[in-house]
Amino acid sequence: MKSLWNRIYTFRAVWLAIALIFLFALPSFLSLGHTSLVIEMLILAVAACGLNLIMGYAGMVSFGPAGLYAVGAYTTALLIVKANVPFGLAIMAGPVAAAIIGFLVGWFCVRLTHVYFALLTLAFSQIIHTIIFQWYSFTGGDNGIVGIRVPDYIASINHYYYFTLALTVVCLALMWMIGNSSFGKTLQAIRENPERAEFIGIHVRIYQLAAFVLSSFFLGAAGSLFCGFNRNVFPVYAHWIKGADIIVVCLLGGMYKFLGPFLGSILYIILDKVTVSFTEYWPLVLGLIIVLLVLFLRGGIAGFFTEKFSATTIRGSREER
Amino acid sequence: MVIENLIRQFLSGLSVGMVIFIIAVGLSLIFGTLKILNLAHGSIYMLGAFLCYWLTSTFSTAPGIFWWALILAPIGAALFGGVIEVVLLRRIYGWHMMYQWILTFGLVLFVGDLCKLIWGVGYHMVSPPWPFKGSVNVLGVFFPSYNLFVMVLGPIIFCGLWALLRYTTLGKIIRSATYNPEMVNALGVNVPLVYTSVFMLGCWLAGLGGSLMAAMSAVTLGMDASIIIECFIIVVIGGLGSTLGAFLGAIIFGLAYTLGIVVFPGVAIGIGFIIMAIILIIRPWGLMGRPE
Repeated sequence: MKSLWNRIYTFRAVWLAIALIFLFALPSFLSLGHTSLVIEMLILAVAACGLNLIMGYAGMVSFGPAGLYAVGAYTTALLIVKANVPFGLAIMAGPVAAAIIGFLVGWFCVRLTHVYFALLTLAFSQIIHTIIFQWYSFTGGDNGIVGIRVPDYIASINHYYYFTLALTVVCLALMWMIGNSSFGKTLQAIRENPERAEFIGIHVRIYQLAAFVLSSFFLGAAGSLFCGFNRNVFPVYAHWIKGADIIVVCLLGGMYKFLGPFLGSILYIILDKVTVSFTEYWPLVLGLIIVLLVLFLRGGIAGFFTEKFSATTIRGSREER
Repeated sequence: MVIENLIRQFLSGLSVGMVIFIIAVGLSLIFGTLKILNLAHGSIYMLGAFLCYWLTSTFSTAPGIFWWALILAPIGAALFGGVIEVVLLRRIYGWHMMYQWILTFGLVLFVGDLCKLIWGVGYHMVSPPWPFKGSVNVLGVFFPSYNLFVMVLGPIIFCGLWALLRYTTLGKIIRSATYNPEMVNALGVNVPLVYTSVFMLGCWLAGLGGSLMAAMSAVTLGMDASIIIECFIIVVIGGLGSTLGAFLGAIIFGLAYTLGIVVFPGVAIGIGFIIMAIILIIRPWGLMGRPE
């Protein structure tokens, strides 16, 4: 079994091509409803992989990813509705705005560690939520912004699917390159031991800030994409519960593998739809799943498979503490 | 009129602050001893509120039922908390904070939906008990006497908790287990039992807060998500793990929130988060905490 995984791994370029062709052909044999589910999966995957840049690679646990996600979504929405900015420009402005806000937030956050870092990201995220919720004249308060116009060429679900797919592939490729660059390796070194990283001359805070800004960029990109998909934005995007969802997706898939959050988002959306179809008490089931997952499957699905089928397994070292 | 309005806001700020103090001090106690940031604390609070509503509505004819509910509902919450501690949390002490956060988030979803399953989605009201039904005149302002009762109860709980931690054997064990659990265990104290009792005490406080809040505002789903964030604000202001800090934090939060409503109505709900962020930036260990 272990050599099987190695064989799969050797032909990863082939598998990637097959996966892309499969994703490209998907809308032709799915109904529109299912295609939009796949769009949701892709967008959630961008958000979760973006969060994973700081959680998985840099080991900084953020409780406030939702704030930055909402910054992306609201920037796109406001530019389209208030300033009549072309859609393409507005969707690019979302991640940039999130990166700028991420820089301001991260500037303060990276000075703290562990629980204090997490709580400060939570506080900033809730401040963003409050601003969106309260500023009726600008953001529409709890009514949100509804009826955002999208250009005709991506108005249909299938066309938006290809648009999302293209941007998702670009984002994931960028994140893969970041994760495997010397920058990504340095982040992992900081995660494993900040003191030693500092001793060999790494400016830990600058690296952490850079990771935070990059992560914000991709969270914002996911927000913007979702804004174009849903065509409505609501303050609940910035609520801490939404942020916890993204963290759960990361854990579900596996945090220490690049594709983990991607698998997590697929599974999360499938679980969501399947459970909703036979019970209205989806959170009850999800809560149970989360508890069991934390107790018995901390490496997520990706971690589970690599541990079972890989010849080179690192056991246990990252699981505790 | 301005002065009267200010007094009314001041009093209601204090009374809400006192209830949140009772809940937040439980969270702080649990974090201080067990080193777990328990997201499900708000859910225990909601459970307490629903139990109080359920008891008062089911046995509405019984005399003084609210007072019975005020005793029984927190005990129910504490027992529920005890089960959670023994079955789940006991396994994850010392793990990475992220896993504790996610596991307790799972509990938030679970307990929230459990309450929905049992009590439905409506708003439920609990009327204030005898002898705190009416209003009293405070400095020329008519103010619900029940809120005054809560304002008095808050400091009593604080003093009781402080005395418990300071002067009793259990308190000494709790404080030393906070400092060095291995050594306390080596001295023959059953540390897991201490942890369970601390967690149950924290949940009892959350349940008490829930029962008290039931007679002040509506009992409904979603009250868990908002209270837990307010508890975080208070605990951060005062310092994680500090009893006195939680007390001061609750007063600061309560006053800032209600005065904010008078002065800047638009940003009132944001003030708590702004204070929390400022405290974390300039003094992360809080007003009464000690730097690590």
